[in-house]
Amino acid sequence: MPELTIAVAKGRLQDEALALLARAGAGVSSQDLESRRLSVEDESGRYCFIFVKPADVPVYVEHGIADCGVVGRDVLLESGTDLLQPLTLEIGRCRIVVAVQIGVSLNDLGMLRVATKYPRIATAHFGARGRPVEIIELSGSVELAPGLGLADCIVDLVASGRTLRENGLKEIEVIDESTGRLVVNRASYQLKAEAIASLISNLRPEISNPGIDGGVSA
Amino acid sequence: MTQRVRRRVFSLEFMSLGDTNMDQTDPLSRIPTGMRYHFGQEARLRRSVEETGMNIFDGWSYEEITTPTVDYYSLFEHGMGQAEAHRAFRFTDTDGRLLALRPDVTSAAARAAATLFAERDRPLRLCYAAPVFRQQPQSHAEWRRESTQIGCELIGANTRVADLEVLAIASEFLLRVGLEGNYAITLNDVGIFNGVAESLKLDPTSREEMRQLIDVRNAADLERFLKPHTSTEEAQAFAQLMQLSGKRESLDLARRVISNEQSHAAIDRLESLWNVIDSLGLKDCFEIDLGDVARLDYYTGLTFKIYVNGAGYRVGSGGRYDGLTGSFGKAEPAVGFVVDLDALADVLRVRRASGSSMRTPPGESPELTANDPAKKPTGSLRDSSRDPSELLSEALERRAKGERVSLELTR
Repeated sequence: MPELTIAVAKGRLQDEALALLARAGAGVSSQDLESRRLSVEDESGRYCFIFVKPADVPVYVEHGIADCGVVGRDVLLESGTDLLQPLTLEIGRCRIVVAVQIGVSLNDLGMLRVATKYPRIATAHFGARGRPVEIIELSGSVELAPGLGLADCIVDLVASGRTLRENGLKEIEVIDESTGRLVVNRASYQLKAEAIASLISNLRPEISNPGIDGGVSA
Repeated sequence: MTQRVRRRVFSLEFMSLGDTNMDQTDPLSRIPTGMRYHFGQEARLRRSVEETGMNIFDGWSYEEITTPTVDYYSLFEHGMGQAEAHRAFRFTDTDGRLLALRPDVTSAAARAAATLFAERDRPLRLCYAAPVFRQQPQSHAEWRRESTQIGCELIGANTRVADLEVLAIASEFLLRVGLEGNYAITLNDVGIFNGVAESLKLDPTSREEMRQLIDVRNAADLERFLKPHTSTEEAQAFAQLMQLSGKRESLDLARRVISNEQSHAAIDRLESLWNVIDSLGLKDCFEIDLGDVARLDYYTGLTFKIYVNGAGYRVGSGGRYDGLTGSFGKAEPAVGFVVDLDALADVLRVRRASGSSMRTPPGESPELTANDPAKKPTGSLRDSSRDPSELLSEALERRAKGERVSLELTR
């Protein structure tokens, strides 16, 4: 029986997260990685990994189905879940930004139409500035929206900025920085204190030490 | 022609689907979000857990109180603080005053202590099992908008023994429902955080920022936050300290890392509690968690949280709130806790179903039937001249035999 269940966000963060965990002594065998199983044990048998969509990581961890998770801060902010965040993992670094079409100024508009995958973050950001907005929630290819006239601006995640540029957009404001976080369920933190403390202390020295596959590639 | 008819039918359907306020279309089968039924085995389990709790309170000489289900909103604003009270269901009375469905029991109990029971001897011991209502659930995992709180308040005593009595009751409750070795009660004292915040001379906004960073155990950002205020080594040590959850050694470490007087007094208080817990042989189910900084404006000393294996969220919480009854005109010390029956019953139900609980269910257990208050005399235990661990250990012994005890506490 594994000591801890760790939910890992599939996609953008997955490879870097697994590489980091492997350096911290929680490695998944390449055979298991190549398989299509969504739940695998690490080689020591201490950890069980489950692979879920990024937005589902906070859900599994908040309900205590997974004790810990690795997920981007952008997803955490958007989910509004109540989780412990003991470690910033310095993987998948990117920014949550407001972007507009080149040559467009938002100052002339009384009301903004904002296309985003992050309605909560966008609402909080413009709300704090007293700016009336209509949030248009999309689930992908948000960069298209201003060009096609669906929205005046977008709130999205940006790593290198290439997608923005190629779609005729430019960043006008950084709302927040986002990197991968280790999140922990509040009850597990107390009831499995030793296992979690050991995972944290194994991860900590590996964080500022990117291995061969380190660095942002997007 | 056919096409026109079809189009009309379509638009009618569309209208009735879109307009959910129409009586004919809002199905009676619907239940509001966060509300539910309980029946069968689950209802019986809930009843027996509730009875176990109420029997234990009675065994420690607590008197049952029921408070109004509907009360003035301002009561809860004063009793719980604005942020918590804000989550209540609110509506107006015939005279226009704002009412609320009670979001907690403690507020009304504290008011009763200062008014109805103002002339009674102290300490006052009150207990309850009652549903509370919250319009906005606490988290996604705690989705319920109605939940039953089982809790107690010990009003008019501020000794270490009073704190210990409440902790002993919480611990007895968890043992009696069969959770031995499967729960943790984490302890902290708000004085530790308050002392640090004051020595750093933080304004309210930065203070809240620091509290939130500690609350989510974000050591790296906490270190960054502290850098302008203190040396790098101190910031690092403090950030690490706030991540720790441990036994006594956390307190020794805290003493080395933190230097202000207020925090040290709080560490001393916590340590003296810990010593008694240790001497009673209870330390396995207690932890010190200096990172527990929830509701600092409400608590004034000891705070604790109850976690149980199998529940993703805490199942109970409590602490000392000496500032509460003052808002109702009679300031006096108070300590208490609540357990969330719904969360606890959920865990027990799953444990029973999977057969992981070896103990007899509550209610059927022989020790509980032996605990009929009518048949047992009350043993009065005086604390003034005695060592707290001796006093508590006698109380625990008598409770184990099913006797009713009443600790005479000095203020």
